[in-house]
Amino acid sequence: MNQPDVDVVVVGGGPAGSCAAIVAARAGLSVVLLERGPFPGSKNMYGGVVYPRILDELIPNWWEEAPIQRWVTRRSTMMLTDTQALTVDFRSEAWGKPPYNGATAFRPDWDHWLAGYAEAAGAQVLTDTTVVGLIRDAKGAVAGVRTDRPDGDLTARVVIACDGVNSFLAKEAGLYEHTDAKHFTLGVKETLSLPKEVIDERFAVRDRHGVDIEILGGTGKVNGGGFLYTGLDTLSVGVVLKLPKLAAQQQRPEQLVAGLKAHPAIAPLVQGAELKEYSAHLIPEAGLTMMPKMTTSGMLVAGDAAALCLAAGIWLEGVNFAMASGMYAGEAAVEAVQAGDVSENGLRGYQRRLSDTFVLKDHRKLRRAPELVLSDRVQHLYPGMIANVAERVFHVDNPHPKPGVRRILAQERKKAGVRRRDLLRDGWTGFRSFG
Amino acid sequence: MTIVACLKWVSHPGEPHDERFSGMSPADQSALEFALRQAEQTGTGVTAITVGPSGADKVLRDALACGATRAIRIEAPTTAAGTDVATAIADHIAEAQWVWCGDYSLDRGAGSVPAFIAAHLLAEQALGVIAAELHDGSVHATRRLDGGRRELLEVHAPAVVSVEGATARLRRAGLHSLRTAAGATIEVIAATTPIHQAEFMVRAYRPRARELPAPAGEGPLDRLRVLTDATTSSAARGEKTTLEPAEAAERIIRALRDWGYLTP
Repeated sequence: MNQPDVDVVVVGGGPAGSCAAIVAARAGLSVVLLERGPFPGSKNMYGGVVYPRILDELIPNWWEEAPIQRWVTRRSTMMLTDTQALTVDFRSEAWGKPPYNGATAFRPDWDHWLAGYAEAAGAQVLTDTTVVGLIRDAKGAVAGVRTDRPDGDLTARVVIACDGVNSFLAKEAGLYEHTDAKHFTLGVKETLSLPKEVIDERFAVRDRHGVDIEILGGTGKVNGGGFLYTGLDTLSVGVVLKLPKLAAQQQRPEQLVAGLKAHPAIAPLVQGAELKEYSAHLIPEAGLTMMPKMTTSGMLVAGDAAALCLAAGIWLEGVNFAMASGMYAGEAAVEAVQAGDVSENGLRGYQRRLSDTFVLKDHRKLRRAPELVLSDRVQHLYPGMIANVAERVFHVDNPHPKPGVRRILAQERKKAGVRRRDLLRDGWTGFRSFG
Repeated sequence: MTIVACLKWVSHPGEPHDERFSGMSPADQSALEFALRQAEQTGTGVTAITVGPSGADKVLRDALACGATRAIRIEAPTTAAGTDVATAIADHIAEAQWVWCGDYSLDRGAGSVPAFIAAHLLAEQALGVIAAELHDGSVHATRRLDGGRRELLEVHAPAVVSVEGATARLRRAGLHSLRTAAGATIEVIAATTPIHQAEFMVRAYRPRARELPAPAGEGPLDRLRVLTDATTSSAARGEKTTLEPAEAAERIIRALRDWGYLTP
């Protein structure tokens, strides 16, 4: 093979791509980062919580300059029925101080900031450039990418595909055996504008402290969940919907968001807010079940492209997995290029790094969680049952004496139509996953 | 023959220091495309020139990636006055045969710079052009006039042509040109004359207040009709007449006074 144009080409300027480019460029490799939008982060709809501790390895004291909206110091899990809400609310002042925990952020700011580090490390960031396919050498190994620009072929020793949830490159490389709609959810988000002081008052926070509310229920007959995050002077509110159920119910996602916003527990929080943005995006939620092969000769796949998104009910994380996988992909690429072996075997360090760290350890541990969380019982039976139990426990019905909780539980289980063995089975699955 | 494309780095008014929302106006993109086409026809190169701070290098690199052969940035603040910008550019392109500009930029949009450049260079000018055809030694330009009419101009070098944004679609830069342009040399020079900050203010249009006599009419509805002209055909207030230009101007001014748009 002739001398390639560059050592590493990274496709996609998201968190995975930028971290891969930072690592490879800092190691002295020639790196091109290709982004299809006018700037990294330009097309993102994300408005969630970022857990950036993994950046400690790349950017010391990253919190001093990271473009965050608010540091999450209140974490709530809310269970909704049509008329009830049961919330577990936790807050910690420690999460509002270095080194922090999670932060709400807008990805156009976050990705642009990270890509700046890639550029500073020596990577060339080329925007408005869409990769349309792979270039292969005579042996069939990936040897570069083809872009939509004139004279648009770019050869490289290693291609790192961080091209997002639909990853056409991973599919073209044959890394996905199959894809199934049931493995994806549709995230739909509205960004609402409210003055900062109103948000502070409604959510009982101050300064740059913020709230992350994850919601079970509130999506009607469509399996999924809701979320509400506080930005500095915005709210991100939306739903995550299981695709086959959404199609079967023939409901519009914006109707479901409107329904969530109208819920008695949510409406007072968003009242008077002005809609600034509406967006939607696919999320790879099936975890290990849907993950592709991570490596082939001349190519690695990272971030959403590798389905590295953790949707395990109480843990909803993606950006940290993207940044970590990008970082490890960069390290593996450096290792392979320096060793002069970019074959699948030469790139095996990537899989090893993923397996040895939280990236795959968390996914293995929580492999049953996504299916459990999106199951019909958890979605449609348990929220009502648990909310009814809570309502009866806290309801003072004098002159009747207080009933026993165990008796209420048994009665509500029967009323909800939940079989005891199903409850035990789900409890055991939950315990094995989260325990 | 020297062909010059004058490009302005514009940024979002609300985000003046954010490089994500900055770049070349569509009109400047059209101007660059015409310059590149003319250079291809005549076998010469295009000099891209801008006046601004270091952030303006971005538009020059874009121009180089598209095929410009030389890039010059005259150091100046973002808010330089249009007359000073034109002087600074004209001083550096005295030999230019063809100068292509966008008709106005997205951020301020006064559209005065091309005219000032033409005045400095004592060049022919075709400004606000909506279509241009390149011919051997000339450019046939179409300008928009009132009433849907068009003005057809044949301009010869040296000339300044400013074009609207939809007149030509800027070619897409090749991948390797883009990579090369990122590291290309941009000549940064100082202006030969002082460049001052423009004094301008962005505000919503607000017509001048004028006194109106109390409307005549029996009841509120009648007075409202008189006040708003709601039931009066606008055609009834106009007139069609044929006059010499000086008389026509006089008649227009008189009508505007009668209607209250000009003070008596």
